[in-house]
Amino acid sequence: MGKPKTGQHQAAWRWVSERGVRVATGEATLARYAALVSLKLPELEDMIPADGSLLLVFRRGQTASAELLAALAASQADAPTARGKLHEIGVEYGGEAGPDLPALARRAGMDAATYISGHATVEYSVAFLGFQPGFPYLRGLSPALQAPRRASPRVRVPAGSVAIGGDYCGIYPAGGPGGWHIIGRTDAVLFDPQRAAPALLLPGDRVRFVPK
Amino acid sequence: MIEVLRAGLCDLVMDLGRPGWGALGVPAGGAADPPALAAANRLVGNALDAAGLEITLSGPVLRFPLGGVAALTGARFAATRSSGAAVGWNETLLLAAGETLTLGRVESGCRCWLAVRGGLAVPPVMGSRSTFLPASFGGFQGRALQAGDVLPGGDGGGAVRRLRAQPLSFSETGGVRVVAGPQSGQFDDTGLAAFFSGSYRVAAASDRRGFRLRGVPVTHHRVELPSQGVLPGAIQVPPDGQPIILGWDGPVTGGYPVIAWVITADWPRLAQLRPNDTVRFATIETEAARGLAAMQWMIEEWA
Repeated sequence: MGKPKTGQHQAAWRWVSERGVRVATGEATLARYAALVSLKLPELEDMIPADGSLLLVFRRGQTASAELLAALAASQADAPTARGKLHEIGVEYGGEAGPDLPALARRAGMDAATYISGHATVEYSVAFLGFQPGFPYLRGLSPALQAPRRASPRVRVPAGSVAIGGDYCGIYPAGGPGGWHIIGRTDAVLFDPQRAAPALLLPGDRVRFVPK
Repeated sequence: MIEVLRAGLCDLVMDLGRPGWGALGVPAGGAADPPALAAANRLVGNALDAAGLEITLSGPVLRFPLGGVAALTGARFAATRSSGAAVGWNETLLLAAGETLTLGRVESGCRCWLAVRGGLAVPPVMGSRSTFLPASFGGFQGRALQAGDVLPGGDGGGAVRRLRAQPLSFSETGGVRVVAGPQSGQFDDTGLAAFFSGSYRVAAASDRRGFRLRGVPVTHHRVELPSQGVLPGAIQVPPDGQPIILGWDGPVTGGYPVIAWVITADWPRLAQLRPNDTVRFATIETEAARGLAAMQWMIEEWA
């Protein structure tokens, strides 16, 4: 079904189910997302940015309009032009707030203080939100601090937990089960459906962690 | 208003959901069988997207102090009215002031929908009155109903037309229809054969977030996949090979390979699955699935 890649700046895309088109967006996910949002295409019900791809969700019975096909065929700049908002997130590292910090630091061959400073000196960017409402997948984690997910997920991770999963850093907006390593906790409210902007962090925003 | 004298197992206020917030990690949610809720709404003279109740396995006892106009669609439950009148499904019901509607256990299937004229007037959250249990918002205080709750709304006035609805028909014996792939080499022939020829049992740990299936494992190459956008009906295969069908309140992204997608027209069949039920799958072409996706129930005057 999909359209073959005919030019390096065109997006490869294909139907997934009868209501979704997955667009391979590489590094340009958010730029492509912003461009498609601005078109206000009536056949689309939603768009879900993820890791290097964008899922377009069609209304029931709808299919791609000529305008959408043209937009997908158009070239796309590799990076969004506008930089997202910078957020400073206060974190209590280690102890009860971050039970996996000692093991992660050991794994990385450093002491906890070095791991914390490695985590807190970098600026992260929000690649996309998923898993839970408002859960940010943050890019920018130093390779030395990365760790595969826990072999067995925790039944309950407290809200505000700052966590490491593979090459991502994340923050759990609400309590619940979770398979990432917990290194600290913030009291920032990441998601509140009653707020005008329910999610604190939006794709493209930047994050810096501040140890408390 | 409607008084909840006794709550069912999981009575949730639902409308047609809140699509459009995927970028914030919020699924559309809403009624598990949207055409069934829409039909119930039409039977009481509401807009299609008014809020009603989604009732699962065992229902509530509801009192209508001011009377009302109601309709039930979906799975049949044991049901009585304090007036002694029969409780018909798929038709307009006129409830007298002070009348009580008692729903017991489901007879077959899993879920039914109750619409009341005027709709349930809970405050919309992010554009919808649907309950989203995983994050405890929307619906009635973000939770399932409890005894003692008083639901606002349900007392719209005006002339009453008695109507009957004709549910969309499904093959009881055919497999749940899916659009396959894209597999892009993530599954081998053995895995694909196991999935498309096997039958799977619905595990107890299944809810609106997803259905865990148990059966012949679907073998696949353990490709680490980047997280990708998913929809309800996506059938993910985790490393243990036991498929998971994502439900209405499931996550909007997932990192497991997706072997197939349940077509939108068969969400109503997913809505009626309960633990221990058996599921098989049958493929359908994308174009055919799209044609079926927009179908609505037929509504007719009750002569």
